[in-house]
Amino acid sequence: MSVTHEEVLTIARLAELDVDEATLPVLTEQMSRILEFVAQIGAVPASESAKPFVPGPDAVRFRPDEVKPWPLAFGPDKLAPAFRGGFFLVPRLGQFEEEDQ
Amino acid sequence: MSDPGEALANAKAAADRIVKAKRLNACLTPPKELRQSLQKQGQAAHPSGVLYGMPVAVKDNICTLEFTTTCGSKILAGYRSPYEATAVAKLKAAGALVAGKTNCDEFGMGSSTEHSAYGRALHPFDKTRVPGGSSGGSAALVAAGAVPAGLGSETGGSVRQPASFCGIVGIKPTYGRVSRYGLVAFGSSLDQIGVFGRSVHDAARVLSVISGRDPRDSTCEARDPLRLPTVPESLQGFVIGIAKEYFPPDLDPAVRRACDRAIRVLKELGAAVREVSLPHTQYAVPTYYIIAPAEASSNLARYDGARYGPRYDGALDLRTLYRTTRGEGFGPEVRRRILVGTYVLSSGYYDAYYRRAQQMRALIAQDFRNVFDRGVDLLFTPTTPTPAFKAGEKLADPVAMYLSDIFVVTANLAGLPAMSLPIGRIKGLPIGGQLIGQAFLEDEMIEAAYALERMVPGAEDA
Amino acid sequence: MTAGGGWETVIGLETHVQLRTASKMFCGCSAAFGAPPNTNVCPVCLGLPGALPVPNEQALKLAVRAALALGCTLHPKSVFARKNYFYPDLPKGYQISQFEQPLATDGALSYLSPDRGLTTATIVRLHVEEDAGKSLHDRFPKQTAIDLNRCGVPLIEIVTGPDFRSPQEARRYLQTLKQVLEYAGISDCDMEKGSLRVDANVSVRRAGEAALGTKTEVKNINSFAYVEKALSVERDRQVALLEGGGTVAQQTLLYDSKTSGVRPQRSKEESHDYRYFPDPDLPPLVLTEEFVAQQQAQLPELPAKKRERFMTQYALGVADADVLTGDRAVADYYEAVVHAGADTKLAANWVINEVLGDAKTHQEQLRVPPGALAQLIGLVRGGTLSQQAAKRVFAEVAERGGEPRNVAEALGVVQVADSGVVARWVSEVLGAHQQEVTRYKSGEIKLLPFFVGQVMKLSGGKADPKLAQKILEEKLAA
Repeated sequence: MSVTHEEVLTIARLAELDVDEATLPVLTEQMSRILEFVAQIGAVPASESAKPFVPGPDAVRFRPDEVKPWPLAFGPDKLAPAFRGGFFLVPRLGQFEEEDQ
Repeated sequence: MSDPGEALANAKAAADRIVKAKRLNACLTPPKELRQSLQKQGQAAHPSGVLYGMPVAVKDNICTLEFTTTCGSKILAGYRSPYEATAVAKLKAAGALVAGKTNCDEFGMGSSTEHSAYGRALHPFDKTRVPGGSSGGSAALVAAGAVPAGLGSETGGSVRQPASFCGIVGIKPTYGRVSRYGLVAFGSSLDQIGVFGRSVHDAARVLSVISGRDPRDSTCEARDPLRLPTVPESLQGFVIGIAKEYFPPDLDPAVRRACDRAIRVLKELGAAVREVSLPHTQYAVPTYYIIAPAEASSNLARYDGARYGPRYDGALDLRTLYRTTRGEGFGPEVRRRILVGTYVLSSGYYDAYYRRAQQMRALIAQDFRNVFDRGVDLLFTPTTPTPAFKAGEKLADPVAMYLSDIFVVTANLAGLPAMSLPIGRIKGLPIGGQLIGQAFLEDEMIEAAYALERMVPGAEDA
Repeated sequence: MTAGGGWETVIGLETHVQLRTASKMFCGCSAAFGAPPNTNVCPVCLGLPGALPVPNEQALKLAVRAALALGCTLHPKSVFARKNYFYPDLPKGYQISQFEQPLATDGALSYLSPDRGLTTATIVRLHVEEDAGKSLHDRFPKQTAIDLNRCGVPLIEIVTGPDFRSPQEARRYLQTLKQVLEYAGISDCDMEKGSLRVDANVSVRRAGEAALGTKTEVKNINSFAYVEKALSVERDRQVALLEGGGTVAQQTLLYDSKTSGVRPQRSKEESHDYRYFPDPDLPPLVLTEEFVAQQQAQLPELPAKKRERFMTQYALGVADADVLTGDRAVADYYEAVVHAGADTKLAANWVINEVLGDAKTHQEQLRVPPGALAQLIGLVRGGTLSQQAAKRVFAEVAERGGEPRNVAEALGVVQVADSGVVARWVSEVLGAHQQEVTRYKSGEIKLLPFFVGQVMKLSGGKADPKLAQKILEEKLAA
């Protein structure tokens, strides 16, 4: 399974990762190698395949509906790179998107 | 240990030893901050705790209120967690001291502690070699004698592999035995906090303290903490399986000799040794390298520069902020895995990769159940195919690096407890043997390890 | 049914409903609306490194009740899944939702369509998820402000089939859904506070065609009043496009209530690949039969059932029964009035006209206690109060409280049923209107109500009108 430069760039956009032109060829080659390596599991006959296995408890446990916030030693204002008037601040979405929610 | 003041003395001594081991680049905490915090912790430690005064080094992907939690990544440079991991809270409640944060591969992604944004950690006995990874910093500090125990974490062998390389004991408990609350997620269905110790006993008692239920982790089983077994006289009644898939023809000859010697010791101790087969073992590494990156690609989406961590300024719009923060904040191995993980989950590829890997994971888990159902109590294998490799040796080829985990990833995929302990050396480099146990039967595994530890010349050449 | 010109509209709705819990879906933070920004937050809903979700039991109970109320098949095992996308109000970079294995599927909800009468909408799926935070774009220049208080609040998403044939039908369905959810205490369904939100899939096709046209998704409909408007606008836009020889592009549109128009959401190219996969932080959601039975037992009688019962038990028409059962509090109130002894039909009239009329101007409060209303109705029926007087008493009791009987006396509006007193008023009226008396006696008997009216006027509304009429007839016949 090999991937093209374009596919790598598409995936990088989906993952919100900048990939610079210089590293693209090496990255594409490495990704192809990794995907080729992991694709070998496709060689096992499908009849052998079992139901997915999930480790941990068989059923999720619930928490009682109580207002008991889990502790924070300090507030979000101390964490955030930009914080004003009680809000986290980020640059506005680019000109190609807008959404009111 | 209940002499008040003993903790303070231990704290000072540990700080001195950790600072002295600075050349290993194993501890990420600056010396001054380490000394100050340890002094404070030593004074505050409660003398009635079962780990009173024990300094424990903590891998940098486990949240602590002391020190920063960077996960070996630039994207969390300077990050201070406003809460602490359940495992750390339990350690402190037992009187232990958080003895610095240790170097690791970025977000646990690596097998050599070379993929750290803060420089590679060195093997304690040979600075040209790697200590293993991703919990290489904790392993190196314990091996160097700076601390008696350390916390690491495993997604695919990241405690056992460095324990093997560094010649110490490393235990990965059953998935769900120790709370993951506060362990920074890499592959959530595989991640477990594990422990390092100079001896089986040190590792086991730290594990016992951090194990048990936690209402803050839905995947943590509602079980009592692990009870420590006593050191057995013999292993009469134990059936130990030897899986042929773990002894391939190209296994390093010294590793094979050390294993053969350990198997002889197991027999001498009265255990029945039986050859078994785990037929899907060869698919474990590829399966792991689909599931772990897939989960990682989602787990690492939160590092976007919006709410915490450094942000790459100058971005005028949000997408640029995301792409530059993430593009520059993550190192090459993390970027590769995020891309592979995003790819295998993306529309059109999910069935061929992720769903298939989930089915393969089930087959690998079934292999173990089949063996245990036929009366085998424990499996014995080499931990790694070779002793510690040279720094830089596997950096160019990611798949070669992945294959060094071939014997350790299976226990993570199947959620089983497993541990590594020293079984010999070759040219001064340690060799580790691995025990894989049944789910939640860590006590049996530790019992066998006690016996092996006593009888196998772990420090002698194989 | 058709949009004119032989076009048929096809609409499907996806409704997000906030569950009525004290705490959030996966952490112990308060789910309350309106706190100062970023104060109801913790490691989990901030998406801090290492934090993990633990589901809220009450949220699951309410979701199961909703599924039962909508006649869904509940799945004994469902799975939480991650929906991955980047947005600043989504701190983890994914939303915990359900995908391949939802909580419930295959339900139905009957509603009264304005075009087709009683109609059934199919519920394709119902699943549990967490809400995102809020992004405020107009608060600071060039910056988006993020408030994560709402982040992690429990939601259910209810998806219908493409079952509605007009914007009016879609609106009626939503009203019915809101009724059901309010009844069962599942949500307060307040669109203005965002506790009920709706996205619509809209397409049009030539009447009689079986294949569906290309659909668009309309978002940002944030008030009940806009549902019909937004859907009509989009339907008309599509019809105009097709009639002009164009084609409908599959896209997401945002409704703008200021301009009453829709505009495309110019979204990122990759927005459609959510890379759903089972959330490894959460074991499967397993429902035992016992748990489901307990939730079933907690469900009240739902509006449709109640409406039918009101029609048979209280001999009411469908219109009255529909109004009375529209709101659970009103239905309970009506039944309390009846149980306190009021005539069922009179009680229905009083509740629909006076009580609900009063409630409309007083924050939906039912201000007159049911016992008092029953007494008031009894006073009218027994001839102690005229209808007019009773309305004054009602208003007084609503405003200041008190027993209707005492209030009526204090107001001096109790009807006079003393024939001597009434006879004196009659004589006075007849004396004052000699001309009309002559006309009456010469056969113009339609003047009787005029005389009754004059007696009532003279008595200040206190005369018992029936008694007055009887005495008038006797005296005029003499």
